[in-house]
Amino acid sequence: MDIQAYITSGKLELYLLGELSELERAEVVAMAAKFPEVQKELDDLEEAMFAIDELTGKIPSAAIKTKIFDSLDMELRDEKTIKPTMAPVEGKVVPLSPWKSFAIAASVVAVLASAIAIFYASKFYEKEQQFTALLQEQSVMAGNLNQVKLEFEEKEFQLDKLVAGDFRLVKLKGESLTMQKDASVNLFWDQSAQEVFVAVNNLNELSEEFDYQLWAIGDQGPIGIGLVNEGMKMTLQQMQAVAQAGTFAITIEPKGGSVSPTLDKLVVIGNVV
Amino acid sequence: MCFIFKLNYFPLEEQQLISGLRAKDRKTTEYLYEKYSRALFGVISRIIFDKDIAEEVFHDSFVKIIQKIDNYDESKGRLYTWMANICRNSAIDKTRSKEMSQAGKTNTIDDFVIGFESNSDTLDHVNAIGVKELMNDLNEDQRFILEHIYFKGYTHSEVSEEFDIPLGTVKSRVRAAIQVLKKNIDSI
Repeated sequence: MDIQAYITSGKLELYLLGELSELERAEVVAMAAKFPEVQKELDDLEEAMFAIDELTGKIPSAAIKTKIFDSLDMELRDEKTIKPTMAPVEGKVVPLSPWKSFAIAASVVAVLASAIAIFYASKFYEKEQQFTALLQEQSVMAGNLNQVKLEFEEKEFQLDKLVAGDFRLVKLKGESLTMQKDASVNLFWDQSAQEVFVAVNNLNELSEEFDYQLWAIGDQGPIGIGLVNEGMKMTLQQMQAVAQAGTFAITIEPKGGSVSPTLDKLVVIGNVV
Repeated sequence: MCFIFKLNYFPLEEQQLISGLRAKDRKTTEYLYEKYSRALFGVISRIIFDKDIAEEVFHDSFVKIIQKIDNYDESKGRLYTWMANICRNSAIDKTRSKEMSQAGKTNTIDDFVIGFESNSDTLDHVNAIGVKELMNDLNEDQRFILEHIYFKGYTHSEVSEEFDIPLGTVKSRVRAAIQVLKKNIDSI
């Protein structure tokens, strides 16, 4: 087909004037799609016809504009305000959309990563606390162990003394007295080494203001040789040294002990055999 | 010089314009009106000389354009061409109605130019010079065809039948006449 002849036939002008039949219109559209020259001619003609109409045209009266927009008032909406310079052209939006999905994917990954990080951070914090608790426990146990060790050494030392020394057992009883009938204290005395230990079997608990005080009674009368802790039962408590005594006794004295025994508060007494 | 009326609006891409119109957006519709009312009213008032009737037809045409915007098919030409066809067809329909009878077809190019010149509106008076220049260099045949199709609202087949001119000749004369206008408008 001679495209130039088609272009100059006048058909395109009639097409633009809206005078062609439906069939002829379809033909022009097909030709324009197939031949760029036809499309170009159509574009040029449309532009020229608009320019001609614009030049020969007249501005309608303001009254008719008001009337038109009154007629359209119910149809038109105000929501979608187009900003001419800002509004994106549809065609330009499309190539951007893959980035949108990348951005969404990236956000999802970021959110997931944050969630995982928070999860492990909380786990770490939890473990660290457990670790700290274990350290504290361990240090408590070490302290306990140390104390046990000290106690053990002390016991061993005492046992060594008892075994190695020349100790005599003096049983101090409350049977013959009025304070506490079942009161009972064992006293170990190495006269040559001048060492005294007591082991409380049974003594009533005293209030805060009083103490049990051990007395060695010899030629020079009663001598205070230390305070006895009634709570420390079945364990040896070392008393002050004494070289000479015929009788040992325990009295209740005001806190801290007295210089001379309060005899009406004599709890236990025992003679060296 | 004739384009002193070029509007100072931000250019709206045709695609944006169309989607705004389809959304029945008021601002877009106002933009369309400001940009095209002069040319579209020109299409009508070329054919209908009576200003009141022309404005009535323009009212109906513009309302129809907004209401029928979904019928517009971008693949079949520009928005302006579609709108201009609605206006032209409405104007032609009006000239054939009873109230107009044959009176509407008495327009000539000279009447049109004189109409411009006699108008007290300064802008129109300035434009009249442009319109005169636009019609320069048209030969008899071209002037005749243009007068009937552009100003009197004949269709090309009506011209062919009524004046006994072969259809092909009418077509090529329409082509030639518009080419002259096109050349003139480019040089103005």
